[in-house]
Amino acid sequence: MTDLAALSSFLVAAVGLAVPLALAALGETVSERSGVINIGLEGSVIWGALGGALGALTVGPHAGLATGALAGGLAALVFAGFAVRLGTDQIITGTAVTIGSLGFTGAVFQSRFGATGLALELQTVPAWEVPVLSRIPLLGPAFFDQAITAYLAYAMVPLLGWFLFRTRWGLALRAAGESPEAAHAAGVPVVRTRMLATVFGGLMAGLAGAHLSLVHTGTFAENMSAGKGFIAIAVVVLGRWRPWGVFAAALFFGGAEALQFTLQALDADLPYPLFLALPYVLSLAALAGWFGRSRAPEGLALPWPRWRRISTNPKK
Amino acid sequence: MKLYPTTALLFVALSALQACGGDSSDAGAPDAASVTATRSVALLTSGPVSDAGWHAGAYEGLRWIGDSLGFRISHQQTRTPAEFDEAFISYAEAGYGLIFGHGFEYQDAASRAAEQYPDVTFVISSGSRPSANVVPLIFHLNEATYLAGMAAAAVSRAGVLGMVGGVEIPSAKGTFVAFEAGVRAVNPDATVLETFIGNWDDVSAAKEAAAAQLRQGADVLIHNVDAASFGFFQAVREAREGGREAWAFGMNRNQNDVAPDVIVGSAVIHIPAMFLRAARAWGAGTLSDEVLYSGIAAGAVDFVLNPAREGVIPDDVLAAIDRARAEIVAGTLQVPRIEFVEGEGGAGPEDPGVQGDPLPS
Repeated sequence: MTDLAALSSFLVAAVGLAVPLALAALGETVSERSGVINIGLEGSVIWGALGGALGALTVGPHAGLATGALAGGLAALVFAGFAVRLGTDQIITGTAVTIGSLGFTGAVFQSRFGATGLALELQTVPAWEVPVLSRIPLLGPAFFDQAITAYLAYAMVPLLGWFLFRTRWGLALRAAGESPEAAHAAGVPVVRTRMLATVFGGLMAGLAGAHLSLVHTGTFAENMSAGKGFIAIAVVVLGRWRPWGVFAAALFFGGAEALQFTLQALDADLPYPLFLALPYVLSLAALAGWFGRSRAPEGLALPWPRWRRISTNPKK
Repeated sequence: MKLYPTTALLFVALSALQACGGDSSDAGAPDAASVTATRSVALLTSGPVSDAGWHAGAYEGLRWIGDSLGFRISHQQTRTPAEFDEAFISYAEAGYGLIFGHGFEYQDAASRAAEQYPDVTFVISSGSRPSANVVPLIFHLNEATYLAGMAAAAVSRAGVLGMVGGVEIPSAKGTFVAFEAGVRAVNPDATVLETFIGNWDDVSAAKEAAAAQLRQGADVLIHNVDAASFGFFQAVREAREGGREAWAFGMNRNQNDVAPDVIVGSAVIHIPAMFLRAARAWGAGTLSDEVLYSGIAAGAVDFVLNPAREGVIPDDVLAAIDRARAEIVAGTLQVPRIEFVEGEGGAGPEDPGVQGDPLPS
């Protein structure tokens, strides 16, 4: 294999690993911009993977993407119902949703397919080659010979950038995240805004899960989300809560992951945990040195209205 | 921090959901009153039993125990070491007399619980420290992966082979060491790649790890991951769809029907049979406090060819594999292994060979 061919297939792997992270992280960006940190994102991802698999089995792979997104959205709706509507602690509620989802999806899977499991063989969503663009050397096959989920992720980047920073609704959403009091005073329905933003984040995370089961692996296994929801939350921070930054961070993380598998396969005589840690070490380095400091939305993780705030400092 | 009742309630409800599996027999906490100490068997696994491999075999064994011995059975999935202790204690308190901890990772928690509950017997798969009531159950799966390695070397055209593992624990590492030795017995110049993904159920990581090895020129791969193996097989399948000649080997359980299109054969542990044998011995009071070793000679482990892929392996290699199997049974061929029982020393010729009665197949 020539070096160029090796580089090209490395890039294909990098983009493939980045797409689910980008989808989930872009959704989480919107939800965090509205002031809600959804630790339950991992739950939405695993529900998306299972919902996608079940949808694909009953209707077809494309319908599976839709049912996967829907399943992820529903998990986020449960989270939002508690954390936004009732004002429960976001971190604890999100953790509960994640743990519960991992167990519940396993129970559903086992009751549907038998306790000792089988390698579910799902029809995968085929890649669609973009004419002309896919012939760009190196980058073409990596970016433009992908399934529809990748193109959705690409499209979301400018779309969300425009929505968040160029529209009135985007301004209202960011206001709910920066200063819910001020937003409320200005007539923004903070609770409804946060609910919608969180459910949107869940839909995107569900799509990421459906990508895992229907595009990437063509199967479902319990716990197959394997922490990708949590990594997506880190990717949002790494991308500084901006769609372009988040997309770049997802690519960076996907690239680091593809790199570590390539390095391990090169038969380098180093302990493998070093390679496994590589994406995280690179992320830390990037977080420390990239674009200077990052700042989270001011009202992130704070419940609204104020009288429902669960504060560690009662005098505040 | 003040916890709102609703959050707490949700947390409890969802955690309870996580604890139950899909079968009614695993549901909920054991009930002390209804359990008699002599006839209750529990199983702990650290991953989902729906992996069609390592954990699935244990769960099947538990059900065999329930069906053929009439013992009361219960299963729990426990992921963290804190949960291991908790689960051992709650089962022991509830009167379970025999508790299986299915994996190397349960050894420490079992040793602690065993001191606290001397009347309870703990059987630890791939365990490392026997004591009065802790019995390590060691599968010499390396004997089977050695034979798989011989087959793999014969099938590989490129002379490059790959191994994708979960975490580098002795039981996993040992299967790879023996696989590599088997490969070299047939093709001394072969290159053998090794990748660990750091866990057992990240399907997409296993797929990418396998894909990276395939890109590196490997054309025959073996895995030792649990549920993540589904992604591993998918990578081989896609390589074949892309026009390459690539093959895979299954592990832990007869996986030949899991991906019959790509699997040449599987290194199999008859976990259910071993569990049943241990439980029967325990019920009869003959389960000793020694290590239970079980390899090919005891009928506990074997390399099983996929009948759907007959003809892939040349006849002379098949004959060599049969010869090697006979030598392993006779004790004249020592397959390299990683020791996991403390004080056993290196892979020396003094194989303890404490084999039980051969199993009826």
